Parts: sequence; structure tokens; C-alpha cells
Amino acid sequence: MRRHTVVAVLLLAATGCSTGPSLENKGAVTAPPGDSHHLTIGSAGFTESDLLAQMYALLLKQAGYKTSLLTVANRELYEPALESGQIDVVPEYAATFADWLNAKTNGPDAPAVGSPDLTTTMKALRRLATPRGLTVLDPGKAVDQNAFAVARSYAQEHHLKTLSDLGASGLKVRLAAGDECVQRPYCEPGLKKTYGIDITAVDPKGVGTTQAKSAVRSGQDQMVLTTTTDATLDEFGLVLLADDKHLQNADYVVPVVNRSRAGSPGVTKALGKLNDVLTTADLASMNQQVDSWRRLAQDVARTYLKDKGLLK
Amino acid sequence: MTAPPDDCLARNEWICGEYLSTRRHILLDAVGQHLQLTAISVLIGLAVALPLAVVARRWGWAAGPVLAVTTILYTIPSLAMFSLLLPVYGLSATLVVAGLVLYSLTLLVRNILAGLRAVPEETRQAARGMGYGPIRLLLTVELPLALPAAMAGLRIATVSAVSLVTVGAIVGFGGLGNLIYAGMNTYFKAQVLTASVLCVVIAIVADLLLLLVQRLITPWTRAVRG
Repeated sequence: MRRHTVVAVLLLAATGCSTGPSLENKGAVTAPPGDSHHLTIGSAGFTESDLLAQMYALLLKQAGYKTSLLTVANRELYEPALESGQIDVVPEYAATFADWLNAKTNGPDAPAVGSPDLTTTMKALRRLATPRGLTVLDPGKAVDQNAFAVARSYAQEHHLKTLSDLGASGLKVRLAAGDECVQRPYCEPGLKKTYGIDITAVDPKGVGTTQAKSAVRSGQDQMVLTTTTDATLDEFGLVLLADDKHLQNADYVVPVVNRSRAGSPGVTKALGKLNDVLTTADLASMNQQVDSWRRLAQDVARTYLKDKGLLK
Repeated sequence: MTAPPDDCLARNEWICGEYLSTRRHILLDAVGQHLQLTAISVLIGLAVALPLAVVARRWGWAAGPVLAVTTILYTIPSLAMFSLLLPVYGLSATLVVAGLVLYSLTLLVRNILAGLRAVPEETRQAARGMGYGPIRLLLTVELPLALPAAMAGLRIATVSAVSLVTVGAIVGFGGLGNLIYAGMNTYFKAQVLTASVLCVVIAIVADLLLLLVQRLITPWTRAVRG
């Protein structure tokens, strides 16, 4: 095994990707895009990441690659492995990953680079990823970003469809969210400033937890912070209010690959097939099948790809 | 959205036959990985601990440092241990094995050393009087007499390795731990319970097997008792 590591290091040194260029020549390709036949796909261990990794694996397998999956606890562990080529492909979220790389490169106090605008976010993300030997493939339609939900009856009674409607209504709102909500620009401060919503208190019940959603259903709280791929809202009689002024960052799903091992057009083409098809609602439905019905992520991913004609 | 299927998986029951039948391969793979990681770690640990214990016994001044270092290693929290070893081994099964070997050392060295020290001085003198050299004394008198204590250490080290393997899940090589962690994240009762029970079963079976081995290779201990 230790020999493997040595070989990997030698390979990296040989392909010259261990030494990145300075940030000045941004966009410069440091290593020639490689095409390894055996690809390791990383998953960050939560359901959606597992599902995306399984779909990537199935699509790459169909394109003729040998694939294996590795589940790793968090980004701190898999990102270095992605740079070194122990992991070749990882599903990521554009804005979150851009901010994470930015903190890693420029320190934790660097101003955020992820933004609600997808083009700006992707530009920032690629500028940070390229010198590290990573290629960010194109985003598709699926977005997993923070979202706010209210009870359906409450929305009907006050004619609410968007967060702007809620701001205009002047209603007093108690918000169920994580305790970090009071500081995060996308949460309480943003809701007050951008939408003019009268937040009376933040009830620290966690982001999208069962307790948080129950509190809104029972009327104890009026609104809950959750994510766009949460498929259990129906069960709780909740509806999302549209983020019509784009407060939330553009956390589009993007595949990130190690350029020297998986930077080939073959990989890009195989994973690109998902972009035109996969929607946020699809992801939500698949999350539900795995989280609430406890189906196997691999089966759910395969069934989905077959239904959409992406897999034979 | 379609209606949820009505089975024990969707109802999230603790005991679920559907789970056992549909995930049999996954469970078997996890058990296989668990056994492999445990066995390799304990065997390597034994191979390292035995010479350390012998050295500590032969040269008294070495005992202090050997015991101190292995004990300090044992106090490192497992999450920190794997993070510290990560730059050396990367995301691999070797990383988990290396961590487990380091943890097994203190249990094994202490017990083997205790066994060696417990050999009565008269016995050693008798052997020397019969013309036994130091190597022959070690191999044919001291080590066999140290076996009961050494085996006790091996049993503890094995059982603790079985439970520590699960922490390897943070790098994707945790045997049944992979299933326990995934199940905890989604509150998947059947998965957490099944994998945990299998973990306990592995620990008990391994302990009983080692007890059996100990009885077979130290028949004299029973003869005295019986």
C-alpha cells in the first residue's frame, strides 16, 4: 500500500501537477488533461452527495471507465485527496466550494467569492480551482440552496408566493433555523434588509430538522429555513416561498475532477449528460426515496438514469 | 410524487427482514472488510509488540520508555490519530490499519511483559542450570510461561480493534462502521442496529476463538486446575 502512495507521488511529480503556477497566469492548464481508465468517485457521506456520486459512477461506467466509490466524512478530507489524484471526481456545490477554496487559499477572513449570480460564482470557482489542478465541469439545472418555507394555510390566508410578498405583508415572523442564522447574510440579516421581513426571533431548532418543521406546522413558528432539495415539505404541509430577489448563493451542482486523471473530453461528455436532465425537484425526490423510504442510493440513481434514458 | 412503499424500511423499524434480504451483499462486504482490518492490525501489532516486550524485559532501562511511548499513543483520540496519519498514508485502508496497530501496542506490550516478568526466578535458574542459553531460555521456557498473560492481552486488543475499526468510516474504510455512520446520518434504525449487532457478534466470536486457541496451546494451565 505504501508503494502505491510512492507511485502516486511519482506520477504526480512526473505529470508536473504538484507545482501549480502563480495566480497571475490564471486559467493556465498546469498538467495536460489526462484520461485514467480507473476513476475513483468521492462522496461526502450525506444522501445527496451519495446519489450524485452513484449517478456519476453509472454514467462513467457506461462510457467505458472502471469506477469505484469512496465515501469520506467531509470536504477537509476529500479535497486534498482530489488534488493528489486519490479521488478523481467529486460532486460539489458551486458557491459553497468556491468559498471553501477561497478560505483555504486566502485565509478564513477573505471576503466571500460565492454569490447569488451563477456566472460570477463559476468564474471565481474556476479561478481558485484551476491552479490546484482541478477542473470544474459545467453546472446543470439542479440547485441545492437554502430556502424558506411556511405552512400552506398561512401562505393561502396571506396570499404569499414569494419572500417579497411576506415582506410587503408586514406580518411578524418567528423563524425556525440554525443558531448561526442571526449572523449569516443569507438568513436573518438578509431577510430583514433585502425583503423587509419583520423577524421577531430566531428559534434555534436547526436547518430543516423535523423539530423545526413541526414547529411551523403547529404554528409555534411561522417560517422555517431548509433547502431546495428537501422533499419532506409536503408531509408537513409546508410550501417554499420564492427567493425572488436572489438572496441565496448559486449552489448549483457541479462535478469537480482532477485534471491530470479525469480532465478528458470523455469524462466531461459522460457527466455532461446529466446537466440537461437533472432538476432540483428530481434531486428532492431521490433524496426522499433514500432518506424517508430507505431505498439504496445506487438503486435509486440507476432507476432515475434509466427512466430518463441516460442509461441502457 | 408517488406514495411511499409500505414496508418495514419505509416505516423505519428497528428489526427489518427486508433490510437483511436486500442488503445482504453490502452487509457481507462490510463484515469482510471489518474482519480483514481487525485481523491484519492485530497480527502486525503482535509482530511489533513481541520484540518490544522482550527488549523491555531483557534490558530493564528500556521498559520505561517503551511503556511510556505506547501508553501515550493509546491516549491519542482516534479521530485525531487518523487525521495525524492522513498525510502519510492518504485515504487508504493502510491508514486505518496503521492507527489500529499503534492502539494495540500498549495492550499487547504490557501484557506480554507482565507475562515474562511473572516467570519465577527459580524456573529460569533451573533452566540455566540445565545448560539453556538465553535464546533457548526465551523460546522454550519464558515465552510459553508468559502465554496466558499474553493471550489475555491479545484478546483485549482484538476486541478493542473490532470496535475501533468503525472509526475508519471517516475515510471510507470502516467495515461495519461505514454502515453505522451512514445510518446515523439518516436515522436509519434497521441499519444502525444490524451493523452494531454484527460488530458485537464479531467481537464475541473472536474473543471465544482466541480463548479456545489459548486452551489448546497451554494445556498445562488446565491440568493444574483440573
